[in-house]
Amino acid sequence: MSGAVAPLADAGLLGARGSLAAALAIGVAFGWCLERSGLGSARKLVGQFYLTDLAVLKVMFSAIVTAMLGAFWLDLLGVLDLGRVYVPQTWLLPQLVGGAIFGAGLALAGLCPGTSCVAAATGRADGAAVVAGLFAGVLATGAALPSVRAFYESTARGTFTLPDVVRLPYGVVVLAVVVLALGAFAVAERLEAR
Amino acid sequence: MTGGARGAADPRHLLAIAALVLGIGAALTRPAPRTSRPARAPRPASIDIAALAAEISREADHVTALELAEWIRERRPGLRVLDVRSEEEYATYHVPSAERLPLESIATLRPRTGETLVLYSEGGAHAAQAWVLLRAAGFERVYFLRGGIIDWVEDVMSPANPDEHVSALSRYFGGAPRAGGAGKGFGGAVPLPTAGNPRPSAAAVERVRRRGC
Repeated sequence: MSGAVAPLADAGLLGARGSLAAALAIGVAFGWCLERSGLGSARKLVGQFYLTDLAVLKVMFSAIVTAMLGAFWLDLLGVLDLGRVYVPQTWLLPQLVGGAIFGAGLALAGLCPGTSCVAAATGRADGAAVVAGLFAGVLATGAALPSVRAFYESTARGTFTLPDVVRLPYGVVVLAVVVLALGAFAVAERLEAR
Repeated sequence: MTGGARGAADPRHLLAIAALVLGIGAALTRPAPRTSRPARAPRPASIDIAALAAEISREADHVTALELAEWIRERRPGLRVLDVRSEEEYATYHVPSAERLPLESIATLRPRTGETLVLYSEGGAHAAQAWVLLRAAGFERVYFLRGGIIDWVEDVMSPANPDEHVSALSRYFGGAPRAGGAGKGFGGAVPLPTAGNPRPSAAAVERVRRRGC
């Protein structure tokens, strides 16, 4: 693609050090936003499951919609080459099972990986405990990988995106996600006001 | 997002309207990126046979099993590995990250910008035929795996006398490098019939039969 300046690392505008520095800056900004949204508190996150405080849904959906609209329009304007943006690959069944385990852990601990780091950084002991559990889980999974590899690599779908699933043009899917998010925000406000 | 006064100039409402406008604009835009923007519209009438023949001649049409393994390991952006074998064969074993694409449904495939397709079959013939069809349909970056899944198994999953680099690559995919096997080449560790040894082993016969595609 001619003229596209992003992805920055891919377009040769950032070296290896520059990419690392950018990743650090984005990570710090992400942590700061999580903390400012109050997501460093387990009570806030657990409120999501009891439908009393839907900050998680609102923060995450806002981030998704912002990133999606930004990526779509920057690609259209020729600034970003979406074809060169890395899309993680899909392994349907193992990722569904992983998602279920992740969700159970999230409900149990009241923190997810990002928010546990934020909680630990602000001195919360429960945050530090979840971070320790996180690393223990990563190590245990790595050690158990040889025995579960067949399942781990089953139902591969390659880069499997929403437009692939619903077989609609990318722009239409963008609009659908925006409408879905705005609807979710409206429902969330109603639930919180009860 | 949680705080803020409700009022006429609620910034959340302005943001919601902005998102909606951008979303509607996205839906109205043509061509849309990735999925529905063909890199080049399929034009079967304009196949450049000489250009395709030149590509085949200079071996720019295929990748080796080791090259494909490198691509998968380095998570090459836009890489899609497509298995054109039967469902049973795919279920039995497939290249990690590969998705199954029945040959019959190849006509439904649409080119996407930035995507690199690698096709493979049992021995390579079906994938090579699919390569010609896709190139004719306007796909730019498409390759087939030379030697198919057989070469993948031999060269990546159980390479004979590999160097350190290939050993590491093999182990990345859960392979088991073999030391002291026969030299690389057709048949790998299984000796093929020669003038001096006209009776090949049963395993060699089976392998050659399978390799016949």
